[in-house]
Order: sequence, then C-alpha cells, then structure tokens
Amino acid sequence: MTRADPLVDDLFRREAGKISAWLARLLGPARLDLIEDAVQDAFGAALARWPLDGVPDRPAAWLAVAARNKALDRLRRDARLDPFDEGAALRLGFSNPEQTGSLDDTLALMFVACHPALDPDDQTMLTLKTVCGFGVKEIARAYLSTPDAVTQRLVRAKRKIGGLGLRFEIPDRRELAERLPALIQAIYLLFNGGYTSGEGEALMTREFCGEALRLATLLTRHPATASGECHALAALICFHHARADARTDDKGALILLAAQDRGRWDRELIARGFAHLQAATTADALSPLHLEAAIASVHAAAPAFDATDWRLLSHYYGMLEELKPTPVVRLNAAIAHAHADGPAVGLRRLDALAAARKIAHYALFHAARGDLLLKLDRKGDAAAAFAAALNCPANDAERACLASKLQACA
Amino acid sequence: MPSYLLLLHQITDRPRPGSPDEIMAITKSYMAWADRMRADGRLKGGEKLTADAGKVMRPKNGRVAITDGPYAESKELVGGYFILAAKDYDEACRLAETCPHIGYGGNIEVRQVDQL
Repeated sequence: MTRADPLVDDLFRREAGKISAWLARLLGPARLDLIEDAVQDAFGAALARWPLDGVPDRPAAWLAVAARNKALDRLRRDARLDPFDEGAALRLGFSNPEQTGSLDDTLALMFVACHPALDPDDQTMLTLKTVCGFGVKEIARAYLSTPDAVTQRLVRAKRKIGGLGLRFEIPDRRELAERLPALIQAIYLLFNGGYTSGEGEALMTREFCGEALRLATLLTRHPATASGECHALAALICFHHARADARTDDKGALILLAAQDRGRWDRELIARGFAHLQAATTADALSPLHLEAAIASVHAAAPAFDATDWRLLSHYYGMLEELKPTPVVRLNAAIAHAHADGPAVGLRRLDALAAARKIAHYALFHAARGDLLLKLDRKGDAAAAFAAALNCPANDAERACLASKLQACA
Repeated sequence: MPSYLLLLHQITDRPRPGSPDEIMAITKSYMAWADRMRADGRLKGGEKLTADAGKVMRPKNGRVAITDGPYAESKELVGGYFILAAKDYDEACRLAETCPHIGYGGNIEVRQVDQL
C-alpha cells in the first residue's frame, strides 16, 4: 500500500483538508505549517501500519487521531525554540477527532488561504495545498513550476499568514463583503486551471475541476457566504464541468463543442447549474460571473450545437462586454455573433480586436479567424491563421486539433 | 440514555504543573480518557474553557451588575467540561472517576441534563 494506490491517495487528499481545517480551529492559523506537517506524519503512520493491521473501519477518524497526536508531539518539539503553548496542547486534549470537515472550519480555512496580504497566485496555491490537499508536485505541474519553487512560495505565504495574528473564523458581515471576492476568484482560477492545463499533457486536470465544484458548492451552503455571486460561480462551474466526459476522446484528443456527444453531458450537474443560476438572481447587481453563467447555460440548454440560441448568446455577450471588455470576452462575443449573423460579421469583429494587447499570442484568436475564413472559402488565409495559432502556447490536445485544422486547409 | 455534564473545577491556588513534559503527560492522559469514552460511545461533547475567571452577571437594583468571575470569591475555576452518556448518577460518577482530572487535584461536578 502506497500513495501510488489511487484509493489511498484519494482518501488522504480528501481528509488532508478536513483535518487541517479542524486542527487550525484548535491551534490557530499561525500554526498552519506545523499542522500540515502533522497531517503528513499521520499519513506516513497510516502507510506504515495499515498494511500490517489492516485498514481501520473508520480510516478518516484514525487519520484525525493520528494527526492530532503528531501535532501534540510537534508542539512539544517546537517548545525548544518558543515557550510551550500549554493552551494549544490542552485544547488538543479536549478535541473531538470526529468533528473534522465541518463547513465552518473549511470556510474559515479558505478565508485564511485567500487573505488579502497574499497575492492571487499565492492564494490559489495555498487553497490547493491546505484546503484541497493537493501535493506540491501536482501544484507545480499546474503552474508550470518546480516542486521546490512551489514549496518556497507556500512557506513564504504561511509565514506571512503567521505574522498577521489572524483569528480562525469566517469574517463578520462588514469584512465578508470585502473578503469574499478573493475566494470566488481563487475558485474560478482553480477551475480554469483544471479546465485547460498549460503547455504539454492532458486537456483537463479533472481533480482540480472537481475541487473547484466542491468548494463553490460549499460557499452556497453557508448562510454567510451564500450570495448571488457565489451561486453564479457554482452555476458556471456546474455547466462547464457537466461537459467533462464529452470533451476528450479515449485517446485524450480534444472534441470541440460542435462535435461533442451531448448524451455524455452530465444532466444532473446541468440541473444543479440551473438551480444555482436561479438562486443567483438574488444578488443586488449583475456581475460578469452572472453573465458567464448565463452564457454557459445557453449552451447547456441546447439539445444540439445547431439548435443553440446564438441570438441570446450574442445578447449576453454584449452585456458581458460592457462589464468586462477584455480581449478574451470580445473574442468570444465575436464568435457568438459569427454564428448569429454570419462569418463576415464575426471576422470584422475579430479583425477589430487584432490590435488588442496579447491577443496575438492567444491560439484561440487565430483559430477562430481560421474557422471563419474557412467558412468564407478563403483557404489560404485560413491556413495562415491556423499556422499562427500553432505558434502560440497550447497544450498537446489543442495542438493536435489545430494541426488537423491546418491540414484540412490544404 | 441520559446525558451528564461533567464540570471540571480547578483549585487555582494549587501549584500548577509548568514544564512542557508535565503538560504533555496531562494532555495525553485527558486525550486517552476522552478517546476511550468516545470509543465506548459515551462521549457526547467536551470543550476546554479559557483560563480566566470570566464574568458574572447579577440583577442589582433593577439593573444588571457585571463583575469579574468567581475567582475573587472562591479559588475555583471551571477549566472545561465533558458530556457523557450514562444510565444514572452512579454510572456517571463511576465514569467520571476514571477521568484523570481528579488525579491532578481537581473537582468534578456532575449534573444530569434534563431531557426526555
């Protein structure tokens, strides 16, 4: 039995976040480093004992007890450098290892990880590590970094947190309004990172997406954080993640929206998405997230690509462009307009966009031009566009797709 | 089965254990007891309270008087509580006796929770 065993790895990853949150409640967020070490110690103990004693009836409780005991040992070891924290030790004494994974504790830990003193990347990384239980290797891959660099970043982030004297709690209403956007952003980035991983390897890090879905759903379950915007986030993720099984074939090749087998879309997730979208209307203001969720819902509701309500999509994109006129939004709006009003209209909008910062490095921009040029029977120009797309950063599945489009221009 | 509240009183002017190793030993013995109670399905709850005397609120002349806690009047402080399931006071006290608290020089007040 090792961590290479997926069942074991999955159990450990899921419990890591719950146990960390529980111990953070007992020992305080400044002790996050000690807590994570104690959790790793507990996993080590499990891997050593379970092959001999058998897997316990309640593995999660076993792990929590082990982590608690290791935390106490580490507190004692720490006392060589700092005065011994008697209160912390005694709180551990009274603690209940069956209370790991409470919603309050998980959310409080998220607010710690997404503290404004940290930059957004640190916030997401710390969330991935402490709340989601991912390892530095997985995080390094997602960020195209090295395990050492990620470890260093996490150490610095935890040190910053340690110096802030934070209470382990969900912020009160006044502060909550300021702090919640960072959580929403971190979850959004987490989903985005999982949805399309960077250059190389697989199209989706599915577990990242699953975690983003879980965390977004948790936000909607707590009265303090169940805002309209959190529901919009949950809706958006439900709609996108519902397509997970249809986005790649069994060889890992990319299947575009137009070609996806909609029978493989997760109908239950889509239904959940619509429920969240409904709940999202309680918000005071329409946010870009609301519109992104609404856009995703239009696709989710379409029984087939050709039956998509492109006019409604163009309308939503128009509203989104007003709130968030970024090159990527304008790109997607142009594609929607192309479907609603014809390729020439779309191409004009794309060409208007060509001067925007960084869009030249975005593979999807060139690919979109290529598609429209092909529809206008301009094969030569289309080929040039797809070639430009291949010069941009893309993962393996995307490159394969672009290469076959280039071939089709010949 | 009824529930019993165990209030763990400490005598504050007794010498308190100070060394980390002593605290560790105390903590581990409370932990082990609580783990046993939990494994037997007895433990319904428990929390440590902060090591201060707290506050006392009393009616006084039609208003509320707030003073510092019992510290000034008696030398006792409630350090924490547990809630155990037991069939009667006899059993509750038998279980409470096994708690290391008395061995460390504290009192345990046992009260039955009123429920049907």
